[in-house]
Amino acid sequence: MELFTPEFGLVFWMFVAFLCLYCILAKLAWPFIIKSMEERADLIDKGVAYAQEAKANLDNAKAEADHLLAEARQQQADILRDAAKMRNQIIEDARGEAAVEAKKVSEAAMVSIEQAKKESEKQLRREVSEIALQIAEKVLRKNVSNDQAQRELVDKYLNEVETKN
Amino acid sequence: MVLIALAAFGYMRAAQHHHGTTEVNPKEIIYEHLGDAYGWEIPFCHDVRIPLPIIAKGEDGWHCFMSSRVTSGETYEGFRINHGEEYNGKLVQVLDDGSVSRPLDLSITKNVAAIMVCALLVIMMVFSVRNWYRKHGMKAPRKGTAVLELIVDYVYTDTIRPILGKHSPKYAPYLLTVFFFILTMNLMGLVVIFPGGANLTGNLAVTMVLAVITFFVINLSGTREYWKEILWPDVPLGLKCPAPMMPFIEILGMFTKPVALMVRLFANMMGGHMVVLVLMLLIFIFSGMFGAAVGGATTVFSLAFALFMLALDTLVSFIQAYVFTILSTIFISMALVEPHGHEA
Repeated sequence: MELFTPEFGLVFWMFVAFLCLYCILAKLAWPFIIKSMEERADLIDKGVAYAQEAKANLDNAKAEADHLLAEARQQQADILRDAAKMRNQIIEDARGEAAVEAKKVSEAAMVSIEQAKKESEKQLRREVSEIALQIAEKVLRKNVSNDQAQRELVDKYLNEVETKN
Repeated sequence: MVLIALAAFGYMRAAQHHHGTTEVNPKEIIYEHLGDAYGWEIPFCHDVRIPLPIIAKGEDGWHCFMSSRVTSGETYEGFRINHGEEYNGKLVQVLDDGSVSRPLDLSITKNVAAIMVCALLVIMMVFSVRNWYRKHGMKAPRKGTAVLELIVDYVYTDTIRPILGKHSPKYAPYLLTVFFFILTMNLMGLVVIFPGGANLTGNLAVTMVLAVITFFVINLSGTREYWKEILWPDVPLGLKCPAPMMPFIEILGMFTKPVALMVRLFANMMGGHMVVLVLMLLIFIFSGMFGAAVGGATTVFSLAFALFMLALDTLVSFIQAYVFTILSTIFISMALVEPHGHEA
């Protein structure tokens, strides 16, 4: 019954072989394999966490972009409204100024027209009276001796004519 | 079906070959297959053996020669292989007075050579994983390396680490080596031809070495608490003071744990081999008893059952390697106990 009685030679060689195997593997292989396997497991875990984070960030970024877009639109609308307001204001102002200027110009023109009118009236009156006097002098030369009295009369008639006009 | 037909044909040839020459002796054949030998049969040829070195220390010092000098029954340098009641099939030294004595036999026998082959295989397998990591860094291994890595991962991440926790890096190399060595020896034992075929884990010497090493690993890593629980356990004083009953049981337990490991692995593997051998021998026993026709029919059944048994043994190889490893892990973790106040 050899199987049940351990043979010394086999025990010896088994022991030696196992010790050699253990020393070689424990020194060179197992720690490296275990370390690599754990590192890879960590890497995969980290990768998953990173991907999840990235996805969350992406979702956030979209929301943020939408938000920014809405804000920009709001601003644009504000700017356009302000611009319109300013334009109206400028037009209004310009209009007012132009009206004032035009009034001034027309007033000045009015004044000068008035003056010219007065001047010409005076001129006309003088000339008319001159002409009338010459005519009257010519008509009445003979029978009118008192020159002064006649002139006053003519002047009086002329005034009447003027007031009638 | 093709296999079975081939097997039946092979049986016919074998039956013709054996017919009338020798009587089948099942016990001898079984023990020859399960036991050790000084040479290694080359595949499919029972008579030609690969010579292996014999190293023996007799009465007159060390002798070293190839086994081919004695396997055919010759005596060389005073050594021969004995046949008989005592030292059957073992190397003996023939003394001057004609009596025989057993030398200190450190021969590289079939089993020793098989152990070395298995150790080399384990080194190759483990280094293939290691080299993959060295070359490819974090990339996942492919093909065979991936299978090995899966096993390593299963044994280490799912078994050793949950049990040993922070101690696992210290003990994992030992436990992983044990696992892969046992697994390789189990599986190589199932390969019937040359590099395999040695019944290693079904040999008590091999499992004994593994169990003794595990015994030392367990007890050398024992904490104060572990020894206190053995020598002065938390039991009523009467159980330990006048007569140290509990310490006695605890000390017995120290030895039964590795012995259980040893016997479990040995019995499982040897049993599997023996069932397959018996199934094969049934063919020859039945054909010897009832003639070739019955033998032919038995061949089909025997082969089918043997195939099933071999498949089962492959499973058992994994299971037993795993069981040895996980129990060693648990025993080590029990030796690493820290003082615990909450338990009475």
